[in-house]
Parts: sequence; C-alpha cells; structure tokens
Amino acid sequence: MQLQSMAPRWKWKGAAAKALAEPISESISELQHSLTKTESLGSLSSCNVLLAVEPEQAELLDRCCFGRLVLSAETVKKWIQLSFEEAFYLLYNLKCIKINLQGPSLEKEAETWMYMRSKRSNFPVFFKAYSHLRSKNWVLRSGLQYGVDFVAYRHHPSLVHSEYSVLIRSGDSDRLRVWSDIHCTVRLSGSVAKTLLTLHVSGNSDREDLSLPACLDNYIVEEQTISGWSPELSREDETNPKPNVTTVSKARLGDGRHV
Amino acid sequence: MEEKDWEGSSSSENEAGFPNDDDEEFHSGGSGPRLQFRVGSSKARWIAELRMAEVEVKRGKLWTTTGIIRSGKAYCFIEEALYLSEIGELQILGDKDDTVIPLKDLYEKIAEGKSGCCWENYEAYRYLKSLGYIIGRHGVPWTSKDAAAVSTPSGEEESVCASDTVTKLLGDMQICEARAVFDVYLPNSRFKKSSPGEPNFVACFSGDSPPSKEDIKFLQSRVAAPLMFCHIAQGRVSFFSFSSIDLPVLP
Repeated sequence: MQLQSMAPRWKWKGAAAKALAEPISESISELQHSLTKTESLGSLSSCNVLLAVEPEQAELLDRCCFGRLVLSAETVKKWIQLSFEEAFYLLYNLKCIKINLQGPSLEKEAETWMYMRSKRSNFPVFFKAYSHLRSKNWVLRSGLQYGVDFVAYRHHPSLVHSEYSVLIRSGDSDRLRVWSDIHCTVRLSGSVAKTLLTLHVSGNSDREDLSLPACLDNYIVEEQTISGWSPELSREDETNPKPNVTTVSKARLGDGRHV
Repeated sequence: MEEKDWEGSSSSENEAGFPNDDDEEFHSGGSGPRLQFRVGSSKARWIAELRMAEVEVKRGKLWTTTGIIRSGKAYCFIEEALYLSEIGELQILGDKDDTVIPLKDLYEKIAEGKSGCCWENYEAYRYLKSLGYIIGRHGVPWTSKDAAAVSTPSGEEESVCASDTVTKLLGDMQICEARAVFDVYLPNSRFKKSSPGEPNFVACFSGDSPPSKEDIKFLQSRVAAPLMFCHIAQGRVSFFSFSSIDLPVLP
C-alpha cells in the first residue's frame, strides 16, 4: 500500500543530469573559498545581515541559495541580504564570513549568537534545524508563502521543485497543536505538491544557558513527515474491480474532495 | 439524518457475487423507510456478558470478512453488528427472547462505551467498511486455533472474552493518550480469517488533539504495521500518517 513517497520532480529534461554533474556540496565549497579569500564582512541590521560581495560571489551565493539580492544601481559590488540562519551558517559552519555590529567585527562567534538570540527567541531552535538540513546539502529557502518555515530542495530551485515544506517544532512551541492545524498545513503542503516535514528540536531546556557551542551540540533533531491519506484512492484489489463509492462516504467528505 | 444510498452500500458487499436480490427492495434517494430489514437476512443474538453478538444465521459472503470465530462459532463486535444492522443485512436478537433489538438500542450500546467502540471509532469503521476495507479489532485474532480455547464464550480466555481483551488493551494504552483500535486490510476477495496476514495499517485514535511525538513512538514500538491516525469531526473522517524519516545526505 503506497503511503507516500515523492520522487524528486526535476523541472526540465536534463535537469537531473545537470544536478548530478554539479553537486551542491561543490558549489558550497567554491562559495566558501571565494568568500574566505576576500575576507567578506557582513553587517547586522535588525534581523538581517547585509553582505557586500563581488558579482561572481553574488552568483555563487545564488547558486547555493543563500540570501536575496538587494537591487541597487551599484555595479562594482552587489549587496546581499541574509537571514540570521543563513548568515550564521556562513559564519559558524562554513567559517567564510565575519560579521560586525555597528563598527567593530564581533570576534567571537558566541557574541553574534547572543545578539541573534536576543533579537529572535526562536533563533537557536530554528538555526539547529536549518543547519541540520543544510549540512546534509539540502537547499533551504523561506517557506512563508506556503505557511511553513522553510521549503527544502534537493538542488537549485531552477532545476527541481521543492519536495518538502518544513515546519520546526520544539518542546516549548505550540505548532500543530490542534487537529485543524494539521489539516490546514497538510492540505496546504499537498496543494503545492510537497510533503510536510516537521523537525522536532529537543535537548535544551529553557533555563539552560544557551551559549555556543554546547547549546547546538546538545540539541537533537528528529525528522517526521505528516501526510494525509485517502482511503478512496488507495484501494487495490487485483481480483475485483473497485467497489462503488457509496454516497454515504461521499456525503461525509462533503464535496468529494480528497484528503 | 444523512442521505443513505441503500443500493450503493449493498452493492459494496457483493464483491464475490453472493445473492444480489436485494436491489429491488432498496431505493436511492431519500424516499422510503430508512430501516428496512430484509427477509432472510442474517441473525445474531446479543450476549450481554460478552458484549458481542453470537451469529446464529449467516446469509451472504459478507461473513468471510466480518466477525471472529471461536470454537466454530461466529461472533461480532458492536461496530460490526451495528453496521450490518444499519445496512439491513443483520437482525440482532435479544438474549432473552427473539425480539429484534432496534437500532436505537444499538446506538445506545455504543454511547455507553462499554463495548470497546465509541462513536468516533464507529464512524471510522463504517466509512472504511463501506469502501470495502476489511476491519478487525486490533489485538483480537480472527480465529482461535488454540485447542484450549473455550467451549463457552464467556470463559476466562482472553482470546474470546471480548470485554477482557478490550480492558487489557485499554490498560496497556493508559500510558498514552492515543490508542490502536482497528486492524485494516485492503479490499480482498480472497481474504481468509484463518490466515489474514498482516494488516495494511492499524487505525489509531488520539482523541481531541493530534498524537504527541512520544505517543507515536510508543505505539510504533508496540505495533508492527504502519499506523494511520484518524480524526473524526462533524462527520468527516480523515486519516494522517506520521512517519519518522532521515533525509539522505545529498552529494
């Protein structure tokens, strides 16, 4: 019985081959070297980090789906806007940028961590989830338009549709707390052909001192998919034709829609 | 009351061509009486101590996929009895005399909650059954091959005494809010109670709230088959599966 299993949906013929020829890990490596060489420095601004880069670097960042281009008339440098998760990943995991706050660059990663935490209380949990998938070379982008935290791609969005809509859960948060939350998020994911993936982040209690690196090391991330299932679509009987669907069951679904 | 298509529901029982002479008696649409017991339908007697009905007269092939066998006799749980009564395939007789127990009383038995099946469980049962799925109570064997299994149904053997089995199951599940209730098999005209095989999934209910991560883990450690969580509200039956995965590391 097929429960759920989505194969990657490549966007054009040859996309899969291109992806194979240019693995994400290689693009990330290239990005890492390039940014390190130019000692790239980002500046914190509220909940973002602005990074000035050379045009080739902007392309590399785009290839790995880090940040958004800030359009400007300037041609010598390109400005990229990074989210906290993206910026911290470049800083802490890839060690290819530095970050400053109104002047002096923050020498210790821990200071950046504390700053980001102070701006967004969910940052530690979100970052753990983000880095968990990123370090497996999945490409992550904002999932806001799908009502989730991130969408996860197997490769660059120009080559493949995203397979998972990602929702981050932790002990103290109330996501998917009631059934209608589940119905809503699963349905939304399904309507855009994605599987809902929840990442449960656990391991640190509220009161613990959430400082690096112990904080990140103590977290555990558990992946779980949630899918709706339609009994009407799933019957398989090799010997008999499908039984008629009675109006009893159709009435129950109301408008005949499938889960 | 909701629309019922008698014609539709009775044809769903006709998978292997057992007598189909009931079509003329049933009308689609809202006309005609809702409760129509057909002459010659199956009969079972409700046995209060067992909280099950003992089948006395079997009509039709539906019994290959409904009811459990103990010592050569067939018994059915309240949800099976109620469903078959609703579609006019079964008359339940009182244990004291031969008067037919009306649907109203069967609904009351469900409401009392002492027969191991609550209203929401029943809605899920009815929905899946009407689509042709084969459903048994989780943890209750279809047949008992054990020679020691009982000559009297109200014995201590847990394989027969439905209420004891249910209590034991309920006891196990006290630890978590969610419960495994039904073993569900895909429609199968060759289904045999003597060797049903593993269910395609086990229908679980977690009540008012979605199951917690811990409850899911607990149930997954107890149940080999895939789990499907049912949510029933306002007559709508929905199913969700929660699966632990580990996304691969990409190149």
